[in-house]
Order: sequence, then structure tokens, then C-alpha cells
Amino acid sequence: MKNLLISTAFLVGAFAAAPALAGDVLDDILSKDQLICLVNPNSPGFSVPDSEGIYQGFNTDFCRMAAAAILGDAGKADIRGIGFSDSMKTLVADGAHMASRSITATGTRDADPGLAFVATTFYDGQGFMVPKSLGVTSAADLNGATVCAEDGSTTLLNIADWFGDRGIEYRVENIADKTARLEAFFSGKCDVYASDVTALLSDRLLSEKPEAYTILPEVISAEPLTLVTQPDQALEAAVFWAFQVMINADQFGVTSKNVDSIVADLENQPKAVRRLFAEDSATAEMADKLGLPKDWAYRVIAQVGSYSEVFERHLGKETPFGIELKETANALTRDGGQMYAYPIR
Amino acid sequence: MIPPSAPPPQTTKLRALDLAVAAGLTALLLLAVVNIFLNMSAAGIAPGYGFLVQEAGFDVSESLIPYQPDDTYGRVILTGLVNTIFLAGVCLVLSTAIGVAVGLTSVGPSPLGRVLALGYVELFRNLPKLLVLLVLYVVAVNGLPHVRQAVSLGPVFLSNRSVNFPVPELDATALIPMAVLCAGLLFCVLRSRSRWRKGIVADWKERCLQFAVVLGLPVLCIPVFAVHVGVSVPELKGFDFKGGGRISLQFAIIALTLGLYHGAQIAEVVRGGLQAIPAGQTEAARALGLKRWQVIRLVILPQVVRIVIPPMNNQYVNLIKNTSIAIAVGYSDLMSVTGTIINQTFKPFEMMLITMGLYLGLCTFLTTVLNRFHRRLTERETR
Repeated sequence: MKNLLISTAFLVGAFAAAPALAGDVLDDILSKDQLICLVNPNSPGFSVPDSEGIYQGFNTDFCRMAAAAILGDAGKADIRGIGFSDSMKTLVADGAHMASRSITATGTRDADPGLAFVATTFYDGQGFMVPKSLGVTSAADLNGATVCAEDGSTTLLNIADWFGDRGIEYRVENIADKTARLEAFFSGKCDVYASDVTALLSDRLLSEKPEAYTILPEVISAEPLTLVTQPDQALEAAVFWAFQVMINADQFGVTSKNVDSIVADLENQPKAVRRLFAEDSATAEMADKLGLPKDWAYRVIAQVGSYSEVFERHLGKETPFGIELKETANALTRDGGQMYAYPIR
Repeated sequence: MIPPSAPPPQTTKLRALDLAVAAGLTALLLLAVVNIFLNMSAAGIAPGYGFLVQEAGFDVSESLIPYQPDDTYGRVILTGLVNTIFLAGVCLVLSTAIGVAVGLTSVGPSPLGRVLALGYVELFRNLPKLLVLLVLYVVAVNGLPHVRQAVSLGPVFLSNRSVNFPVPELDATALIPMAVLCAGLLFCVLRSRSRWRKGIVADWKERCLQFAVVLGLPVLCIPVFAVHVGVSVPELKGFDFKGGGRISLQFAIIALTLGLYHGAQIAEVVRGGLQAIPAGQTEAARALGLKRWQVIRLVILPQVVRIVIPPMNNQYVNLIKNTSIAIAVGYSDLMSVTGTIINQTFKPFEMMLITMGLYLGLCTFLTTVLNRFHRRLTERETR
């Protein structure tokens, strides 16, 4: 359904406004001294208003990242909660500069001239969870198994495709009620629970013995959740490389807590770190060309933090979600994930 | 005694007011339809049913007709409809059996029985059915053993997934004894009817003859035509039982929930019907020397049936619609497949019309049958 909503939104938006010219959107942000960023109004962990009505969450922090990089102040992000299809229309109709709201990047969406997919902040995908006692290590061993999944969801389609392609027999339990679904899985009525990996990780915590369940290595669908901006080459570059600064920070162990001491002692840092923060560095040259504050990379890390910091703050071990970053595709490539630090030079 | 005032006689002549109301309703309906189509075309959605022949691409929890994910949407709708009809049929029988038994108990001679019947009725008609369903489901999946520790009652296995039982394994040769069985049944029914018209009472010789025809002849066919007779027994292989018949836990739980829920309401309908029969009828029947059970069977129930059919009609229609709660616990009924299809094709308008049409057709069919039956019974009474 999401697919269709977004394409409909694009269709409507396409008539509403012509795409902006390169540079215009970034100029607009600078002249207004404010970056309008759209988020989901209620998505725990990703974007929810706190007790003072200010949006907090994983996705929200990438709005703040963009504001810190472009305007030098994360607080200048004007974060607005808005529904999925309305947010697309708003963006295309020039009512906002960017959106950070778990949008899956797909070919047909990106082919539309009204929007630009910039940087994937979260790699999700549909996976399988099984009790460890089953002794299964791969989804290929699931011949004859019973699979629990949410009724009406695209999960059902992905399962049918995946098992059908491999000629593996299975029985589906398409249960609409979440309590019934989880009880069915935890009691062993189903052998397997299929859902997005992030959902599996958080649902596992609802069991009395979370350690008794394991997530199989197969991820059968790709859901790259990606930042979207109005098309503008300069804005896209600014947002993409701001995100890369956060990934590079993880690669070289820079966080919001140690960034000040690292910058104060830059001569004794590895060359890659010097290139991030020094006055005559690659980031400073980029700032000149894109019209960003000279120390934008420092500001992003100091005000928002590195990627893993943002992840841990909203979704990590200390949060109710309890997701172990290194167990997901969002770990750095050196830890087996897909977050690849591009060279900033 | 003054007879109650009769309702005004029904006529087929239309008056100005009738015409005005009809015109107004038609205009409203047209406005709604035009509005829907305009809004859909403005949003770039072209209404149409072409998607019905496209591949569905998703699986269902169980199906009574052969179904694969690469079958069409039309096929999966049929699968859901058949599942709904089967579930409704089982619930209908179960709730009627429970309702009649409890209804009889609630006016019966036993004070304990009356209290229990009252307690049951009050409990189940005052709880939301979805809550009852979820409670029973959660209790059953946690209370019953895992499939690997399935309780075996001979060749029947019970686990928190399903009840697995042996079924006869038949091939094409089995059609011969089946055809003979059908022919035998038909013969006996026709014979009994003609004898009954002539006023001949069936004696034990006649019963033996009919029994021999119905059962003896088909059994005789088995060795004569070398009919293949096998049994498919469930066996635990890999993750689950293979072979044999299977009733899924969710099906059993939904049937139980709706059986209990509507059983309570049907019990009240039956009690009302029983209490509408004047006590003099029972007394007269007893005075004629009929036993208690005979009084119920021959005198009370035939009259009760006439009284309770209209309210039962209502119950049955509600029951058919209530099977849609099955979606909560994973039984692929009509509503479940409809929801998935809407999510995939984004054809909510078309799918809702189809689903509404199917439920409407199903319920109208049942009410028509029951109304006909009721009319025949009342005609017989007035004859």
C-alpha cells in the first residue's frame, strides 16, 4: 500500500510544482536561516514528540544533522510531523526542504523528478526468527515449517516469493492480532516468525526468554530507509556528506564527547581525522564550494554525534528497543554491516 | 377477548410521498456514485476489476479448494469465501446444538441445570466476542502441548497447532460403492415416502431391509470390484505432522468461540419460544400418556420451531458476519484475503463492493431459505 500511496503522491505533486533548479533549495535554506524537515508524527524510536512537543528520535537527528551542516546550528531544523503521503506532496510542492521518515528507496520512486533520495540511514529487511532449540541455522532448512506473519502485510508476499522460488513447503499463519501472533510464536504453534529485522529484534524482547530466540542470516527483502530532499545538487551533496562525516567519525572513533579534545590535539591524530576537522582540510574546501560553515563537520559531530551515537541514543541497548547495532546491517562494513565510510578528501 | 388491531392492509399502489422518497434516495445514491468516481479519477485511480485475473502472490493459512500463491486474485477470493462458508456452517450447527440444549435446560425441572444455564447465557452474551476469542486462543496455544509432545489418543494427535487424525485414503475405484450408497439412500427415501402416504407403519423387517440396502450393498461392492481401501495416518515428520486429516487450532477456537457466543443467544431465543407454548399443551400431552421426551419431541418442539425461526434467522445472519473476527487469530476467511488484496492492489473500492456483495448474497440466501421453511410450516398450521 505504501508503494501506491507514494506513487499517487508523486503523481499529484508532479502537477503541483515544477522541480527546483540546482542550488535554489540550499539558497532558500540559507536565506530563511531555517531548514524545514518532515518526520513521521508518531514513530517511537524514530520520531515522537517529547513532553515539550519537540520531536525526538533516530530520524529526527538527521534533520538536526542537516541543519548543523548547512546552518551551523542543529537547533535551526524546523521539524514537522506529517503523514506519509502528505509529506511527499509537501516536499514536491516546495513546502519543505527534506524528509527523514523511513522511506524505502526504490527505483520507480527515485525515477520521479520531484524528489531525490540522498543517503540511506537505516538498512532494514525482512527476516526470520526461530527458537534456538529448533537447531535451524539457515532459512533453507525450514522445509515443512509453519511461519507466523502479520495478516495483510507485504511480508506475506515476500515469504510466498522466497519459499516458492526455492520450492520449500511451508504453512503460513497470517494473524492480524499482535498478541495472538506473538503468543503463537512463543508457544511454538509457529516454528518461525517473519517480519522486518528491526521488528523481530524489538518483538523478541517481549518474550520471557529473549535469549532463547535467534534471527536467521537470510534477509529476504531489502528496505533501505533513505533521506529524501528536494532535487538540488548542492543540498544533496551537503546532506550526503554530512551523513558520511557521521560514518567516518565511527570509523575513526570520534564522538560528540571526545571531538573537542581531538580537535584540540589534531596534530597527533591519524591523517583521515585531520582531513575531517583541520582548517585547510577537505571539509573546509567542500564548505567553500557548497556554501557551508567552514567547520561544518565539527558542528555535525559536536551537536548531533556520530552515527552509532545516534543509533545507540534512540534504538540501542539502553533504550526500550534494545537493538544491538552490530547485529544489524547498519554496522560499519568492518563489523559485517553495510555502513561504508566514503573517503573525505 | 378483543383481538389486537391488525396492521393496515398492504397495497401495491404508490402514493406521491412514496415517489418523492424513492426519487430522493435515488438522487442521493447517484450523487454518491458520481462523487466517488470523480474523486477517484482526480486521484488518478481508474476503477476496474481487471486485477482479479492477476497473480495473487500470497499464501493462505488453510484452504478447502486447491490454491497456490501463483493463482489469481479471483481464486483467492473464492478460497476465502469457501473458508467463510465452511466456518459459518460448523458454527451454525454447534451454536444451534448448544443453544437448544441450554434453552431446554433453562426451563427444565433441574434447579442446578437452570442456574448453570443462566450463568452460561449471562457470561457469554455479555462479553465481547473478540475478547473471548483472544482469551481462548492464548489459553489454548499456551495450554496445549507443542507439536513434538502432541498428546496421542490412539491415532488421533492433539497439539497447540492442530488436531490430526487418520482419514480413509481413496482413489477413483471408491466412486463405485459411493454411487451404490447414494442410490440405496434414494431408494429407501422414496420407498418410505410412498409407504408413509399409504399409511403403512415401518416395522422391524422393513428397517432391516433398508439397512441392508444402504450399508450392505456398498460393502459388498468392495471385494467384488476390488476397491482400493487405505488409511492415511498422521505421522510426525520434520516440523509437523504429515498425512491424515487436520483441523487447525485457530479453526477449532473460532468455532468454539462463536458456538458459545451465539449458543448463549440462541438459548434465549429457544427459552422464549418454549415459554410461549401454553402450559396446557404439555398437560394435555401428558394426559394422553406421552412420555416427557415424547411431549417435547412431538408436541412442544414443532410449535417452538415455528416461533423461533424469525429470531433465529437474525442470529444466523449475525453469526455469518461474525465469522470475520477469524482474521485476528489467522484463519484465512473472506475478510482476511480481502484485506491483503486491498493492501496489495490498492483497489479498496472494488474489493469492498465484492466483499459486501458476497456477504450480502450469503446472508440473503440463508434468510430466504429459512423464510420459505417458516412459510411452509405456518401454511401447514393454517391448513
